[in-house]
Parts: sequence; structure tokens; C-alpha cells
Amino acid sequence: MDRIDASEAREHIEMVAQILADTEQRLCAGGEFFVVWGLFSGCITLLVHFVSKGALAPQAIWIGAALFVAALVFSVWRGRALRASVARRSLVQREFFNVLWLTLGLAFVANVALFNIFSGIASAAIWSFAEAIVLLYIGMHGNRRAQVCGITVVVSMVVANFTRGDVTAYALAAGMIAGYGGFGVAELLTPE
Amino acid sequence: MDELLLSKIRLSVIAELLTSDWIAFSELQRSLDVTQGNLGAHLSKLVEAGYVDEQKSFVNRRPLTQYRLAPKGRAAFVAHVHQLQSLLG
Repeated sequence: MDRIDASEAREHIEMVAQILADTEQRLCAGGEFFVVWGLFSGCITLLVHFVSKGALAPQAIWIGAALFVAALVFSVWRGRALRASVARRSLVQREFFNVLWLTLGLAFVANVALFNIFSGIASAAIWSFAEAIVLLYIGMHGNRRAQVCGITVVVSMVVANFTRGDVTAYALAAGMIAGYGGFGVAELLTPE
Repeated sequence: MDELLLSKIRLSVIAELLTSDWIAFSELQRSLDVTQGNLGAHLSKLVEAGYVDEQKSFVNRRPLTQYRLAPKGRAAFVAHVHQLQSLLG
């Protein structure tokens, strides 16, 4: 059997350590998802609010459904394209997608099956909560932009909590668009 | 000592795959700066040993080969590094 001496062993260990240090641990494979879903969640929050206060006809809710389908179709299409073109996908990235789908999936369940518990503006706040978790999870892995945007979403929820009427909906929508969508824009503008 | 991992290129491949889910052949070649034939030969040995999983597909009608570290490869790597460390005392 081939053997190696101590100096070679040291060289091998140092090489492995260097590779591990150099291995990129990027989390986001495309800010466009954040832009699309940030804009969608902000718009749907305002749409539902205006429908519930009678400023818009109830039929306007179908615009929200159409936007949802459009955002979903875009995400699936773009996700498939990225999956095929990304040359390296880290374990951290895979873990992030698990957290993303779990969080957004639970928010979706809260909206469609728990609407008696999370009624009115609470259903929008659930999305803010989910978006804050996703952003702060990315932030935990060292992404400063995600930390700032996650805090923006949290602040928008606090502001919404201490305001009334239209301002509550505006605050949540602003948090979604500026925080979640804004993070997407920041990622797209950041050079690789 | 794991004979398969005594090669610096094969050890580097395992280290590259350690924190990744799937890596394309071209990306491994870029990272390790080795020739296509050399890397292909080393990867074949790792796949044969069950250390690495290989997945072939087509993207935009072009072939794409990706690799992932198998549990057997991960265990072998950990044991090998322990042995290297024990050599250092």
C-alpha cells in the first residue's frame, strides 16, 4: 500500500483546508424571485385592503389571483432555467431552499386554511413574517443586505401594529416591497 | 490510509464536493485547473468506488455532467483526514 510521510500529509491537509476556505457559500441564485414575490405580496396586500374597505369591487380580487399565477409561472420557469445553468449548488443553498419553501408554504396554508384565525390584515402580516424569516436566514449566513432588508420588514410590521386603517396596510405593503423586493434588486445590482 | 485518496487531484475533488450539492464537470475543471482527460480519469475512479455520484443530462441540447459526494465518499474522506492528522501526531 502507498504511504505518505508527515510532510506530505501536512501538504494534503493544508490543500483540503484551502479548498474548503475558498468554497463559495453563496445563498441566493437570483434576486429576481425576491423582486417578483416582494412586489406581488405588497400589491396583493393593498388590493385585499381596498376590496375589504369597498374602494374596489370584489371582482378585483381576481387581479390578485392572476398576479399570483403569473408570479408562480415565472418562478417555476426561472427556477428551472437557473437549476440547469448553475454550475455549483452548495449544501447551504439546498438548506436555504428547504427553509424558503417551508416558510412560504406555511404562510400559504395560514392564508388559505386558517383565515378564521388570521383574518383581515393578519393574513398579510403572516406573509411579512415569512419574508422576514427568509431574509434573516440569508442574513445569518453573512449577507448584510439581507440583514438590512429583513430588519426593514420587521420594522414595517411594528409600524403596522401601532397604526390604524389604511396606514397599517401601507406599512406592511411598503415593508414587503422595500424589504423583500428591495433585497432582490440589491442582489441583482451586486456584481458576482 | 485510503489509497484512492492519496492522489492530490482525487482528494481535491472530494474536498470541492464536500460543501456542495451538485457540481458540473466544467466547474470542477475550472476550480482544480486540470485537463479534461486527467479530471475525467480521476472522476471515473471515484465514481467506480462509489465515492461520488454522477448525473448526466442535457441542457439546451448540450450534455451536462454533474457530480455529488456519496455517503461512502464522505465517510472515506473523514477517515482519511483522521489518518493524515494522526501522521502529524
